Amino acid sequence: MTDLSPDPSPTREGANSAGLGERDEREMQVRAVAGGSGATWPIFEIFRQERPSQALQHAGNLTAPDQGMAELYAREFYGRRNESIRIWVVPRAAVSEIVDVDLLHPPAVDRSYRMVQGYTVRDKLDAARAHGGDDVPGSPGRKGRATEPHDAMEIPSDV
Amino acid sequence: MSNPLHDPAREVPRFSSVTTATADAHAEAARQGVEAVLPSPAFDVLPTLDLPTPGPAPALPQWLVTLDARAAADQEQALNGLLLSLADDEFIVGYRNSEWTGIAPMLEEDVAFSSMAQDEIGHARLFYGLLADRVGVDADQVAYGRPADGFRHAQLLELPRTNWAFTLVRQFLYDQYDQLRLEALSHSQYVPLAEVIGKIQREEKYHAMHGTAWMRRLAENTAEARARLEAALPSAWAAAGSLFEPLPGEALLVQAGILAQPSADLHTAWLGQVGGFFRDLGIMVPAPPAAGFGGRQGRHTADFAPMWDELTIVYRIDPAARW
Repeated sequence: MTDLSPDPSPTREGANSAGLGERDEREMQVRAVAGGSGATWPIFEIFRQERPSQALQHAGNLTAPDQGMAELYAREFYGRRNESIRIWVVPRAAVSEIVDVDLLHPPAVDRSYRMVQGYTVRDKLDAARAHGGDDVPGSPGRKGRATEPHDAMEIPSDV
Repeated sequence: MSNPLHDPAREVPRFSSVTTATADAHAEAARQGVEAVLPSPAFDVLPTLDLPTPGPAPALPQWLVTLDARAAADQEQALNGLLLSLADDEFIVGYRNSEWTGIAPMLEEDVAFSSMAQDEIGHARLFYGLLADRVGVDADQVAYGRPADGFRHAQLLELPRTNWAFTLVRQFLYDQYDQLRLEALSHSQYVPLAEVIGKIQREEKYHAMHGTAWMRRLAENTAEARARLEAALPSAWAAAGSLFEPLPGEALLVQAGILAQPSADLHTAWLGQVGGFFRDLGIMVPAPPAAGFGGRQGRHTADFAPMWDELTIVYRIDPAARW
C-alpha cells in the first residue's frame, strides 16, 4: 500500500547528543532544510559496503539541501546498480579532521623503530641458521621439505 | 601515422551554429538577475547532415484494431488493453521525465531523476513484452509501430514538462495512482502480470519517497517554492482525472480477478490519500473530473502529436532495423 510518510525526515535526532556542543550545532545546521541553491547546500560524505565481510569505504560525496535528500541521492549515486549492501550518509560538518602536519608527519627524529623496515633481521636469521635450528623461518629443515637454502621463505632484500 | 578516425572526409564541418538559448532561458536569466544565456558555438548546434527521412505514421496495427473492436466483450482483448495502457503510461511519463536529463536544477537531482525516468521506461518494456508475446509481434513494434491515436496512456502524462514544479507534481500524482493500481494488480489471476508487478513495486518504493520528499520541501520551505507548487498544482490536478477513465472491458477484468479494483474505486482511494496529503500541507484541492479526456481510447491533446513524432522518429526511418 502507498505510504506517504517514509520521508527520511530532516528533523531526525542527531546521533551525537552528549557533550559535544560544537558538533551538535553543526549537525543541527545540516539537518535543517537549507534554502538557496545547490551552491550553498551542505556536503555529505558517502560510505558504502559492498559485501558483508568488507569494511565500509569512502565512496565520494554529494550536495543536498538536507539529510533526507542526501539519503535519496546517495542511493541513486552509490546503490542503484545493486553495488552496495549498506550506505552511510555523513554530513561533512559532522566529520572532524586531523590535518596538523606535526601530528601526521612528525619532525625528523628517528622513528624507524616503529616500522618493520626499521629492523634488520637477515643477519640474525643467517646466524641462527648456521647453528642448524630447524625452527628458524627459512631454514632448510623447516617443515622437513625444503632442501635449498632460503626456499621456504624468501626474505626481501631490503630488510 | 594515419588514424582511421581522422579520415579527411569525416572532417568536413557538419554542424551549423544554431542556438538553443530559448526565450525561456533568457526569461529565467532575467528573473534571477544574471546575464542572459549566450549561445555557445561549441554546443548549441544542430546537425545539417542529410538525415534519412522518417516514414509516415503507420496505420493502426491489426492487433490493435482487434483489441478496439472486441475489448468491451472479450476478456482476453480487455487484458491486452490493460497491458497496453500500463505500458503506455510508464513509457510516456518516463519519456517526458527524461527530458530533464542534463538540465535538472542540480547535478544530484539530474542523476536521480534521469534514473527514475529509466525505471519507468524499463517498466514499460516489461509490459510491452507481455503484450507482444500475446499478440505475436515484438516489443519494439508494439511500442513504436503505432500512430498517435494508438497510444492509450492517460492525458496527464503527455502534457509538456513545463517547469520543474509541474513535472514533480505530475510525477507525484501519477506515482500515487500507480501504486494503487499496482496493488490492485499484485494478486492478479493473470500470473505473468502479477510476477512483474512484484518487481516493479519494489522499484516504485524509491519513487514514492522521492516524490513525497519533494512535495514536502516545496510546500514547507521557501515562499517561492510553495508559490511554484501552488501554481503548478491546478493544471496537473485537473488533468489527473484522466488517470481514472475506465478501460474498455474493465468489468470483465474485475470479474475475472485480473484487476482487483475498478478505476472508480482507485479514484476514491487516490482522492482520499492525495487529498489528505495536500490538506496536511495546507493546500486544498477540489475533486478532479474522472471522465471527458479519452486517453484510454486513443484521444490525446495537441501536445502529444509533436511528442509522438519525436519518440517514433528513429523507428520510422527503418521499422525493420535490428538493434
